[in-house]
Amino acid sequence: MRLTRRHFTKLGVAASAGLAAPAIWTKGSFAQSDKIRVGCSASLTGPLSGTKNMVIGYELWRDDVNAAGGLLGKEVELIVYDDQSSPSNAPAIYSKLVDVDQVDFLFTPYGANLTATIMPFAQQRDRFIVGILTLASNDKLKHDKFFQAAPWGPDGATNWARGFFDIAERDGVKKMAILAADTEFSKTAAEGGRRVSEEMGMEVVDFQMYPPTNRDFSAILRNIKAAEPEAVFVCSYPADSTAILRGIQEIGLNDSVRLFGGGMVGPQYASLMENLGPALNGVVNFHLYVPEPTLKFEGIENFLSRYEPIAKQQQVDPLGFYIPPFTYAAGQLISAAVEATGSIDQAEVSQWLHANPVETVVGQINFDEIGNWTERRVLMVQFQGVDDSGLDQFRQAGKEVVIDPADYASGELIPFADARKA
Amino acid sequence: MKMTRFIIVALLVFATGLMLPKVVSNPYYFYAGYVVLQYVVIATGWNILGGYAGYTNFGSSAFFGAGAYMAAFLFKALGVSIFVQILGACVVGMLLGLATGYLTLRIQGVYFAIATVALVIVLETLVHNTEYLGGASGMTHLADPAPAWFGGQTQYVFCIMLGLAVAAVVLARWIEVSWIGRGFRAIRASEPAAEASGVPTLKLKLLACALSGGVMAAAGAPYPTYTSYLDPVSAFSLLIGLNALAMPLIGGTRSWLGPVIGAVLLASVQQLATVTISSEFNILAVGLVLIAFVVAAPEGLLGLRFRSRAA
Repeated sequence: MRLTRRHFTKLGVAASAGLAAPAIWTKGSFAQSDKIRVGCSASLTGPLSGTKNMVIGYELWRDDVNAAGGLLGKEVELIVYDDQSSPSNAPAIYSKLVDVDQVDFLFTPYGANLTATIMPFAQQRDRFIVGILTLASNDKLKHDKFFQAAPWGPDGATNWARGFFDIAERDGVKKMAILAADTEFSKTAAEGGRRVSEEMGMEVVDFQMYPPTNRDFSAILRNIKAAEPEAVFVCSYPADSTAILRGIQEIGLNDSVRLFGGGMVGPQYASLMENLGPALNGVVNFHLYVPEPTLKFEGIENFLSRYEPIAKQQQVDPLGFYIPPFTYAAGQLISAAVEATGSIDQAEVSQWLHANPVETVVGQINFDEIGNWTERRVLMVQFQGVDDSGLDQFRQAGKEVVIDPADYASGELIPFADARKA
Repeated sequence: MKMTRFIIVALLVFATGLMLPKVVSNPYYFYAGYVVLQYVVIATGWNILGGYAGYTNFGSSAFFGAGAYMAAFLFKALGVSIFVQILGACVVGMLLGLATGYLTLRIQGVYFAIATVALVIVLETLVHNTEYLGGASGMTHLADPAPAWFGGQTQYVFCIMLGLAVAAVVLARWIEVSWIGRGFRAIRASEPAAEASGVPTLKLKLLACALSGGVMAAAGAPYPTYTSYLDPVSAFSLLIGLNALAMPLIGGTRSWLGPVIGAVLLASVQQLATVTISSEFNILAVGLVLIAFVVAAPEGLLGLRFRSRAA
């Protein structure tokens, strides 16, 4: 094919029009002020895309608010962009939200890494922002308009898994083993665990770190067996959590082990729960919400019943206990503060939230001066009586029994070995 | 255009860019513009070795990441200004390029490309295991406030990146017209023939590696200031390596203008797609554009233009 200069120019024009087209057809009119706009990025693609069910929480909140007449008589509009799980995309997205879309309120992206890129921005622009399961994101900056949706508590960075050690102390554990993936998050939790164990007078009989890519735990589990601990604190990620629990099925642990788990990421996700089934029995692990009678907060059951069909349609986590209730609650923080103050002024809304408790689908939330929950409410739940009948069993009470905090306890701790025999 | 006139035009472009914070009030354009300019620098850097000398480098993100981490390290350890950070990153990039070149230039073609991928893995693992640099969980990088004249940190790093882009393009153009460029072209055409004609091929290839590495590392230096945070997964992202390769291929690898056109086009589309259509479409679009160019215009947009002139 031969190209003339005229053809080249036409090609150039066509290419430019093609490139600009998506912007033209998808960009709505953002100039109206009859809406209250709330915006964020979410990891719809990339390695964190397992968390994209968080958007369902936002959407249900938006729909509920709009069905009830909106906020201050204005319709709520939700703007969500995909950050592709990459921290490098977040700054430009949040600038787009604030400077072009002119949103009134912001949610952070999922998790601490992505949020770290936009916290200085939020502080410089003095913006109100709700943190979505970000750990210790405001500890250094101390931005007075940041509010955390998740219950990590005031000293979350080092103490989020403290409940596990409180249970161990109550149970009279004297010998603790600690097993952690060699990543910063796990390492910090493991070191925190060692410190707390020693404070409580427990002897740390075994302390092992493994490379995050490790999938064969037979040698590690044999080492733990040899140390004869009474409790094993584990900080792992989904793939290694599965490998560790499968390894225990094959190799077993001593009967002396009464408590196992604590900081395992994975047993909160439906796919892993379905896959592991009875192998989860006895594990005591952190969670943020489970359908136990002690956690019947107003609206949570209704929320989950509406979440399920949407999740099924979108092929995301069918249970939705871990993140979506907290993104819905993040929206409730905004609506409560806006309605109470009758304003969308960032400072007024923030001051109100610092001073007043808010009732949400995840319970009552009180904030301290840097926007963390005033009390830690990370649950330590024990898997009990799990069979291989599939996911539905987890929708009923009694399968993930809350052991700690004591105020929300829904059952008694069964020693690890006994829970597995049953 | 003569070199002096080219430099004057480049300086005029830079001076115009410096005035942008006074004219454009919406910071978003600086956020998006920064990313586009960053890719202009990376693509131009890649093209020195990949385009002029014909050695395909898949490991651009190793140089970018090394630059970013060097800048963050210098800031954390010594609190130096962003200009010193860029200088430090540039030196590290050149040394890294030199070392990589010395070890790998004996192999050619696809084997060289694989060796450059290995560099990314080595550096990423190194950072993962260095607690001072934040390890796997990354490090927060809260830079000093920008000079008031720029009106914000983003406008400031945008102007710095513009300066880097102008400098990189001037360097590329200088290489192109100088004896070094002629040497590179000879190596690309036929290395044994070049060697036989008295071209010092090893020295020139090492020079290409060092210059290319230095430019790509410099592109990484302002990155921690831009994002306020640095983690190994983003800094050594495969996407950087792919873009560094795709942009010159789309624009054309024979001249300094090719990587600039490719970077402006592709990075703008990516920025636009992020906030308009979903990312799956974004990645699909980049893939389709690449395939289309490899099939229809193997010498990039500039190649098409030259063909149209010839016709």
